[in-house]
Amino acid sequence: MALYKYFIKRLALTLPTLIGVSIIVFLLIHMIPGDPVDIMLGDRVTDAARLALEERLGLNQPLHIQYWNWFSNAIRGDFGISIRSNQPVIEEIMSRLPATVELTVVALLIAVIFGILFGVSAARYRNTPIDYSMIGFSLLGVSIPIFWLGMMLIFFFSVMLGWLPVSGRLAMGTAIPQVTGLYLVDALISGKIGAFWDALKHLALPAFSLATVSLALIVRVTRSSMLDILSEDYIRTARAKGVHESKVIYTHALKNAMIPVVTVIGLQLAKLMGGAILTETVFSWPGIGRLIITAIGVRDYPVVQGVVFFVAFAFIAINIVVDLFYAYLDPRIRYD
Amino acid sequence: MNSEFKQVVRVYKRNKLAVVAFFIALILMILAVIGPYLAPYDPVEINLQLRFEPGFWEGSTDHFLGTDNLGRDIFSRILYGTGISLKVGYAVIAITAVIGLFIGLVSGYFGGVVDIVIMRFIDILLAFPPLLLALVIAATLGTGIEKAMLAIAIIYIPSLARIVRGSVLTVKEMPYVEASRAMGAGNIWIILGHVLPNVLTPVIVYLTLLLGDAILYTAALGFLGVGIDPTTPEWGAMLSSGKDFLILGKWWITVFPGIMIFLAVLSFNLFGDGLREAVDSKLRL
Repeated sequence: MALYKYFIKRLALTLPTLIGVSIIVFLLIHMIPGDPVDIMLGDRVTDAARLALEERLGLNQPLHIQYWNWFSNAIRGDFGISIRSNQPVIEEIMSRLPATVELTVVALLIAVIFGILFGVSAARYRNTPIDYSMIGFSLLGVSIPIFWLGMMLIFFFSVMLGWLPVSGRLAMGTAIPQVTGLYLVDALISGKIGAFWDALKHLALPAFSLATVSLALIVRVTRSSMLDILSEDYIRTARAKGVHESKVIYTHALKNAMIPVVTVIGLQLAKLMGGAILTETVFSWPGIGRLIITAIGVRDYPVVQGVVFFVAFAFIAINIVVDLFYAYLDPRIRYD
Repeated sequence: MNSEFKQVVRVYKRNKLAVVAFFIALILMILAVIGPYLAPYDPVEINLQLRFEPGFWEGSTDHFLGTDNLGRDIFSRILYGTGISLKVGYAVIAITAVIGLFIGLVSGYFGGVVDIVIMRFIDILLAFPPLLLALVIAATLGTGIEKAMLAIAIIYIPSLARIVRGSVLTVKEMPYVEASRAMGAGNIWIILGHVLPNVLTPVIVYLTLLLGDAILYTAALGFLGVGIDPTTPEWGAMLSSGKDFLILGKWWITVFPGIMIFLAVLSFNLFGDGLREAVDSKLRL
């Protein structure tokens, strides 16, 4: 099957899932025990205000019509208006999206680069102290609560040593011209090296704590996959021919050891998106995770619904991309 | 059955780390039961005169692990918290087991339209990042430990149902199932008497591995203040209340509950890993 046919098949399978997701997200507001309008507005409101909100949320219409209105707007990116800020929900999401993307992407990069590096070293120096320390690290890393790790990093690096900032994305008074909203990129584009350094310092602790669990898993998978490959005949042949060990490891073995690693990396994206909610809370990082936690706190349901649908949609899209990449790497998958 | 169990125990005992983990897990399970009797203070009693009292590292004997921002005894809160975390963990396992097994058995055994509908629904649940799903369900249901249990169980039910369904598809083609049907057994008899006992092993392994994870999600919900009342002596909620005082140097409010979460998750994970290896080796024999 050609790759584009696989893509179309994969896309078609996704449609029912997407509709199902939208139904669940839509029904959230109706699953709240009690009257949602009362909960959102509190007791002391006039009947006129109640009616206005009911009208705005369309709660006075039959359920299927409410759903259809909500869904047809949502797929066009219109999630309604935030009850608290009176801003369109999509604008709230978009203004915070770059912060989350920057955090998640940098965390993923840390996890992938160091995970593969550590995993390969552990396999190469099997049964040596290097290997044992990597195994120990990956064992601890998968069990550590990242929100606690984040707080301990703050205490050590910010409070005790004073090296890194406690929270936020930039120091007060530092300005970066907004182009992409990704501060590292924007600072580089505008040539502000000082601001770039400042943004990097703010990013270091949150990105590292978010990366830990994925990093530990990637170390584990890379190590075991490399060990399998290193016992293959063609590796022995390469060594017997006198190929330099580094070349054997990085050219001959690593390429073939990567397939299970790529699968794990794909699975990590979901973990990172969930983990971002926790990391953003610890570091007061102004991203989507903070947005949904704040919205839950003040019962701003249009924002909650909007964020959940947006994130689930993004998650489905990312999974398609990962599957496509995987199908490209390993053509056998397309025939399943 | 007995000799199989012995075989699993024998292989498990070879993994020294898993043995240590088992004993730590056992101590935690005992603490969860007797903790409240050992606690020297009431875990929720507020005493503003005793705020931020340091513990043993500054020679205090009254409050072994110090007190928090409201003067509550951290040691007592941690002891109570062990019970809460483990209770949620067990409940999540029980809810996941009952619903996951039911869905998986029905879907795998009957197949057809039922199977298609159920599996589509499971795909939908798996389309959400797990923490986000638990978070919004907990937020929607409202505050309460029982509601948090349900919200966390929903993360695992789809995966367990899939595992069960997969095993059922193999088991239902076995000759003993056919023989039973030929002798006139009904569906319920076949499912409960023949299919269920033969799909249990992977289910038990999955449920053991889930315990550490469930404790972590409980702490995460407590930390985010969603679904769990922030005054509860729950480990995650304790972290949340101590978070703002770290920059003032009051590290003990967050360090000790965090160590407990870490220890619990680590020991249950290692226990689950060890068990899975032992069971896998038995299957290979």
